Amino acid sequence: MKVIIVIIVLFFLHLNSIAQEVKIDASYNYLFANQWDKAIQTYNFSRPFNYEKQPLLMHGLTTSGTYISKSSKRLKHGINLSYSYFRSSSENENLDVKLHLNFLKLAYLLHYEYKEKLKNMYTDIIFSATTSALVRNVNGKPFTYDEEKSKAYGIGGDISVKMGYFMKFKNKVGLSPFVLIACTPYFYSPNTEAVINQTKGLASKSSTAIFSAQMGMAFHIK
Amino acid sequence: MDRRYFLKQSALFSIGGLLIPSAIVGACRKEILLEDINFDGKVIIIGAGAAGLYAAYLLKSKGIKFQLIEASANYGGRLGKLTGFANFPIDLGAQWMHGKNNIFSDFITKSDTKISLDDSDLKYWFNNQLVNKLPKNTDIFEGDDLPDISYEDYALQKGFGNEYKYIIENIAGDQGADASQLSVYGNNKDEENWNSGDDDYKFQETYFDLIDKQIATQVKDEIVLNTIVSKIDYSQSSIEITDSNNNVYSADKVIITVPIPILKSGDIQFIPALPTEKTSAFSKIGMGAGMKVFLKFSNKFFDQNIIGGTICAAYADDSIGKVQDDNILLAFVMGEQAEYLSALGSDAAITNALIQELDTMYNGQATASFIASHVEDWTTNPFVKGAYSYSTIGMGNARFIAAKSINKKLYFAGEAMNLNGHHQTVQGAVETGYREVINLLEDLAK
Repeated sequence: MKVIIVIIVLFFLHLNSIAQEVKIDASYNYLFANQWDKAIQTYNFSRPFNYEKQPLLMHGLTTSGTYISKSSKRLKHGINLSYSYFRSSSENENLDVKLHLNFLKLAYLLHYEYKEKLKNMYTDIIFSATTSALVRNVNGKPFTYDEEKSKAYGIGGDISVKMGYFMKFKNKVGLSPFVLIACTPYFYSPNTEAVINQTKGLASKSSTAIFSAQMGMAFHIK
Repeated sequence: MDRRYFLKQSALFSIGGLLIPSAIVGACRKEILLEDINFDGKVIIIGAGAAGLYAAYLLKSKGIKFQLIEASANYGGRLGKLTGFANFPIDLGAQWMHGKNNIFSDFITKSDTKISLDDSDLKYWFNNQLVNKLPKNTDIFEGDDLPDISYEDYALQKGFGNEYKYIIENIAGDQGADASQLSVYGNNKDEENWNSGDDDYKFQETYFDLIDKQIATQVKDEIVLNTIVSKIDYSQSSIEITDSNNNVYSADKVIITVPIPILKSGDIQFIPALPTEKTSAFSKIGMGAGMKVFLKFSNKFFDQNIIGGTICAAYADDSIGKVQDDNILLAFVMGEQAEYLSALGSDAAITNALIQELDTMYNGQATASFIASHVEDWTTNPFVKGAYSYSTIGMGNARFIAAKSINKKLYFAGEAMNLNGHHQTVQGAVETGYREVINLLEDLAK
């Protein structure tokens, strides 16, 4: 354990020494995953007894942290770790169902800072490895069977483009509003329908494409 | 570009480039499948079992005209309830809910239906004695690269000799099959698709009660009982269904949910005849004999489960999971054992054969405490003709072909048409019911 702590501390010291910029951001995240929509749509279709329908997994929040390496060039590179959370909640008599979808992304990014008229604008091109975990809660408790939580894990890779505008406030501190669009052409999560619709292969496929759009604010330390 | 200008532009960009498209796309994303479908035609559902009842329930929820035609005097198909025999209600047909991760969990939660995990103890009748454990582990039918041969042959290959015959018959019997007919490969593939969970649950009332109170009650008024469909003429735009009394019913679409033996045996004539590929697929889907015999005793001399009998490979204490505790032992007889008992020709003869076997196991205690029996022979039921479907040797993709709709007019549902590994189960039947309503409505939308 001590060894691990020492390694982590050394790693962060190393990052700090080589980092030109650290960013922490928060954003609204709009999600579109066709196959997951189908699973929820089929769930709603097949359970007409639910007056309030299960909303699609669509609106969420994302927070991320980014290290951008020191370089004199306009094009720099860095790493990014982000976490997103989406929820779908329906409340019916004796049956409140909540879906909790979590994404964790680890990314390599290329960071480009513009010059002259577009000075202070930046673009990040982000290549991520993405994992997800989906769980279903019924009446406030995780839905379980065979003494285990009903859950679906997923894995995929995505590419994102982020554009922002840096506003300096103090010597090394600034803010930037940004927009981000991400595309995951193939995201494998074979158990998702089993969690949402409690069956498999009936309404949706084991993989889906995911598109997402984010708008938020980043806090910069340069 | 100054900061103020940029912020203004970026705000406009955000609203125009992100929020407006998101709002538009979001508005197009409906919460319910086929929400806007309009169909003023009529759908006839043949068979008021779990699949037919659920299809009817969904059609009703969509405001679509429908009628359910049922051959027997009761709805429910292979679900049934017997009262008065014991001090608790008895499931005549499907009894265990296999796994909890299925559509019924929502019904059960919503209606506060009482279920309990069946974790009752097992005993084996092995080499003419009751034992707690078998000498060899029989868990050999799951894994990779399994051959497309029968359970019986595979067990022999793996060194399970004649002393294991009825243990293996019980394993195959759980799948509704003779060990000589059930495919190791096919059944393993089915198991791979299974996602409901492994635990079995019993209802404090009955499985039939759940279906009756939650689903059938919604569509009862549209069920026509005692109506045996003999002909389906789908050669014209309107489909004509003729019953055994020559009454004719017309519909625009038909959902056929009858058990697979009814389709195999040609009890229903199709005009034009169904494609050979389809009838061939029907013939490849297995369905073995099945019978449930309830034996009432004055005392509980028996174990909770007895596996491996030569007359019946699976006995179970039927009071498990019930509030009351009359001493009812269920003989769950499948495959060749059910054929043998059925051939004895009378309920008394069937009961006698089972009592004799129990006497052998329990030193004559069965005869000494026997009170009454009830025999439910699903094989001799002319509208069922068996237990439930299973995967035969060389079956290939027969279920997929069997389940395909024809000319956007005839749709096929029922447990045997389940393609997700959930055949043999009530939840599997219900899934096909709503799958075919979706297929039907999607065909209309095209």
